[in-house]
Amino acid sequence: MRYRVTHATKYIYQSSASLCHNIVCQSPADFPFQQVDKYDYSIKPEPNFSSERKDFFENNVVYFSLQKAHKELIVKSESEVTLTRPNWMDVDPAETPAWETVVKELKTPASKNDTRQFYLESAHVTFVKGIREYTLESFTDDRPILEALLDLNTRIFKDFTFTPGFTEISTPLEDVFENKKGVCQDYAHFGLACVRSIGLAARYMSGYIETIPPPGKPKLVGADASHAWIAVYIPEIGWVELDSTNNLLVNDQHVRVATGRDFADVVPLKGIVYSGGKQKMVVTVDVNKIE
Amino acid sequence: MDEKVVVNESMIDFYLSERTKNNAPFFDEVANAKGEIFPHWEKLSKSFDTLGNEQMDYRSREVAQQLKDNGVTYNIYGDPNGKNRPWRLDPVPMVFGESDWEMIEKGLRQRAVLLNHVLKDIYGERKLIRAGLIPFELVYNHQGFLRQMDKIRIPGEHQLIQYSADLARGPDGKMWVLHDRTDAPSGAGYAFENRVAMTRVFPEMIRENHVRKITSYYQTLKNTLIDLAWQNKENPRIVMLSPGPGNETYFEHAYLSSFMGFTLAVGEDLTVSDGYVWLKTIEGLEKVDVIIRRVDDVFCDPLEFRQDSHLGVVGLMEAIREKKVLVINPLGTRILENPGLMAFLPRLSKHILGEDLILPSVATWWCGQEKEKKYVLENIKFLLIRKIYRNDSNRTVYGGDLSESELEDLIADINTRPYLYAGQEMVKFSTTPSYIDGKLEARNAVFRSYIVSDSDKGTYHVMPGGLSRSSPDRGVFIVSNQNGGISKDTWVLGQERRTVEKQKKVRITQQVENILPSRTGENLFWLGRHIERSIYTVRLLRIIIRKFYETDDETNVENDTTLVPLLKALTAITGTQPGFFKRKTLQNPEKELISLINDTQRLGTLSQSLQAFISNGYAVRDRLSLDTWRILESISEEWENMQAKTSVSEINRNLDNLIIKLMAFHGLNIDNMTREPSWYILNIGRFLESSMQTCAILKNILSAKHDTETEKTLLEFVLMANESLVTYRYRYRSTLEIYGVLSLLLIDELNPKSVVYQIENINYHVESMPTGKERYLNPIRKKLLEITTLVRLCDPQHLATIPENEKSRVELRDLLGRVIYGLSEASNIINEYYFSHIQSQYSFVTTEIPEV
Repeated sequence: MRYRVTHATKYIYQSSASLCHNIVCQSPADFPFQQVDKYDYSIKPEPNFSSERKDFFENNVVYFSLQKAHKELIVKSESEVTLTRPNWMDVDPAETPAWETVVKELKTPASKNDTRQFYLESAHVTFVKGIREYTLESFTDDRPILEALLDLNTRIFKDFTFTPGFTEISTPLEDVFENKKGVCQDYAHFGLACVRSIGLAARYMSGYIETIPPPGKPKLVGADASHAWIAVYIPEIGWVELDSTNNLLVNDQHVRVATGRDFADVVPLKGIVYSGGKQKMVVTVDVNKIE
Repeated sequence: MDEKVVVNESMIDFYLSERTKNNAPFFDEVANAKGEIFPHWEKLSKSFDTLGNEQMDYRSREVAQQLKDNGVTYNIYGDPNGKNRPWRLDPVPMVFGESDWEMIEKGLRQRAVLLNHVLKDIYGERKLIRAGLIPFELVYNHQGFLRQMDKIRIPGEHQLIQYSADLARGPDGKMWVLHDRTDAPSGAGYAFENRVAMTRVFPEMIRENHVRKITSYYQTLKNTLIDLAWQNKENPRIVMLSPGPGNETYFEHAYLSSFMGFTLAVGEDLTVSDGYVWLKTIEGLEKVDVIIRRVDDVFCDPLEFRQDSHLGVVGLMEAIREKKVLVINPLGTRILENPGLMAFLPRLSKHILGEDLILPSVATWWCGQEKEKKYVLENIKFLLIRKIYRNDSNRTVYGGDLSESELEDLIADINTRPYLYAGQEMVKFSTTPSYIDGKLEARNAVFRSYIVSDSDKGTYHVMPGGLSRSSPDRGVFIVSNQNGGISKDTWVLGQERRTVEKQKKVRITQQVENILPSRTGENLFWLGRHIERSIYTVRLLRIIIRKFYETDDETNVENDTTLVPLLKALTAITGTQPGFFKRKTLQNPEKELISLINDTQRLGTLSQSLQAFISNGYAVRDRLSLDTWRILESISEEWENMQAKTSVSEINRNLDNLIIKLMAFHGLNIDNMTREPSWYILNIGRFLESSMQTCAILKNILSAKHDTETEKTLLEFVLMANESLVTYRYRYRSTLEIYGVLSLLLIDELNPKSVVYQIENINYHVESMPTGKERYLNPIRKKLLEITTLVRLCDPQHLATIPENEKSRVELRDLLGRVIYGLSEASNIINEYYFSHIQSQYSFVTTEIPEV
């Protein structure tokens, strides 16, 4: 499956900004089962200084600063990717190892730090009270790990009500758990907390998904959005991706951009702006299949 | 009878017998269990005995006075009266003998080398984790592990540049390491001040005992910073980044930076553009090459670390990545401030250095291991429980101090996140004598060492001395300044190692031109304005209070023809309306007067002006000479003293003292401030304020119509308020009349108190500023030209007349109103012109939650 993604962010400042510093994390990184065919970005006005690098998690990051008066800032990313069917789609969940053996293996220095770092708590993923018990309902003794994960994924999907506007990024996980409401980030953060609380390594995935318009309605331009899901480490298979917002195992319709411990590691665009007045932000995302 | 017991014993004998009597369980620094004095204390104990109580009392006071005179202070967090507390120093030092020290020094150097190695590995290949020598969770879970710093190195083998270890002597007589401080260790400035004070008060003891000098530490630090700079190696600009005057050890930041030739800056003073770090100065932006930071790592850049930090510099991390600025200690070094790591150091030392650890760490059990966790949980009541990282939300606790429910919560959290906790033995560390209430008393002490990388030699330099602190009470183990610990100078006895010192390359550093950060400039400007405002307000108050007491009819103040206009003028000049314009207030003026003097919360009061003066002074303390600082301190004391007074008659005395001290502040500045931008800007503020005050006095007292006798009295007051009565008498030798007063105070080109003269003075100082004298007049000078012309062209005779069918001198009032307005416009232009790029208002923007 091939996709073209356009992600544009526009800031409008009430009073002119004199200086801003920004970090952009929108260029798709290298992932298995995904090939980046094209990537380009543009920043208006032209930055005075910019640099590109890979971060600790191998994501592509751009830093730029603007030190001239501006009332508007537009950051636009365009990418084209080819997605292929992941190996985990052909694995029989019942044939995967018991989850306890994975936990045990992760604890030894033999497993890589790069993997192990994802079973620890992080800024948005904390072991709130009761989370382990919630998880263990799916992770019964000796249950094959993928089977348990799929069960957990479905439970989260059923227990939670997708509610835009209920949470913001600073909403603590306790509140999400208590009210079982939120958007994809909350689903992902909650899922991460679940599997990490029992000792599994899981990371946050940020990217895009194509939205399907209601039957008979045309697809609106700019109506797509960025998306978030999780990836859990299973030896021999790799980072298996699960999307609890949509109750599915990720196949070839999720465009991956970046990965990290949680949202804080992969914020698509963040910055600090020196401006006295208020600001407005407009984000448009378009995900289109290339036939 | 309650008579004081006369102690016949010598001080030391008394100390030793008390110890035996109390059956003290601790090791002692002075003598062994049998009471035999250790060799390094022999001479010293005799010296203390010879001095005796009387001399010790005297010298103890001298030490305190010395520190006070030098303005040595620290701040206590969360205490409204905690600002600028005097630094306390015990006149009895902590002493190390030559061979004892040799071991400590060797141990510290070994530990620095070891920690440096660990640091390099953590931010490099992380082999030690893979080899199982450092548990993975100890690093990846630590808030000091900054992933942004991964694979980033500074030049040379040493990544750890400054290092401090807190040491104490255990019951076995060995020195133990209690904590490692690797982020931004503080105290080296206090250590220096302590030594200065002790050298003044105990010169003979320091000489006779061959106490080693500590100055080499500071020189080494400076050399290393210069040597490591990425950019501009010949003459790098070094900035000390401080959290600001509210920080616990701000005194030290100001002191060290002026002593070492660094520019003191807070986050707002710096900006990143084009990938470089710049200092905002009144002359524009100046490139910064090296930052020695006192701001904690995660507060250094809100873009990449803590977003809520206002102490950092936005974009600093990017400048570090680009190697455009050197930050010391490098960000990320706090990973080594890790009690959990202590448990693994002996093994690491064997593995890396092939040596045993010379200085043992205090026994530590890291809960990330099953066996150790079990031990900690079983013995929790007898252990110190610490998180592997320190932050504002977690504190070290002693299990035994916790209530049952607190203990339960703690145990639950240890079980959920075992790897975040370590249990440590509560060391019974040694006692050393402290001079308390005329006696030598045994107190437990902790010693902080200072180690710095010597980039010339590629080794670590250990300060032969340091900062010791002892507990204020008997048998207290957690010692810090925040809970009232008393500092001690630390004496290392022995010969200076000249052979080593001789090899040291003497680095010739060019004099870095003393630049003025914009914010400091702004502080100086307001310092100047507030000192003048305070002086004028005090003068007016004194005159009014004197008049108040002279009034025959005390009960009838509201009908007094001279006092009423004066009181009303006071309200108008200080901008505290309605004040004395209300009849009710006039009937009983004392309350309002006291409020005008002492109410710090009210705008325009003397107290507010003094407070602003003092806080601006504090913010620029690195620019003020020591003597100037002392006067500022004494003004601060006088102010505090005055705050306690409740009657005008008592306050009068304070006002008399204040005026002298404020004038002395002035005089000293004239005497000892170098004629450079900081001096000019201070004076721009001063003269702007004094010209405004003079105009305000003239306008508010002389505009109204009065009978001849009252007018005469008022004229006299006006002259007194401007310190011009004598000049007037000398000049005119006649009775007071308004024409003469206006001429003298408005347009007299030779009278330093005239408005024209003062505005000319603003102009002169603006002209002396770096961009003051260019081809075209700058906007400030244009504005000043406009105002002086307005004043110069006026006709005092005309201003003095009251037009027919008018009740007051409208022309005078109008002119002065325009001058005052013009001056406030000038003040705005000055702000804009010199300080405007201090814009520091910023907000954080981030992508909103995408909703799918």
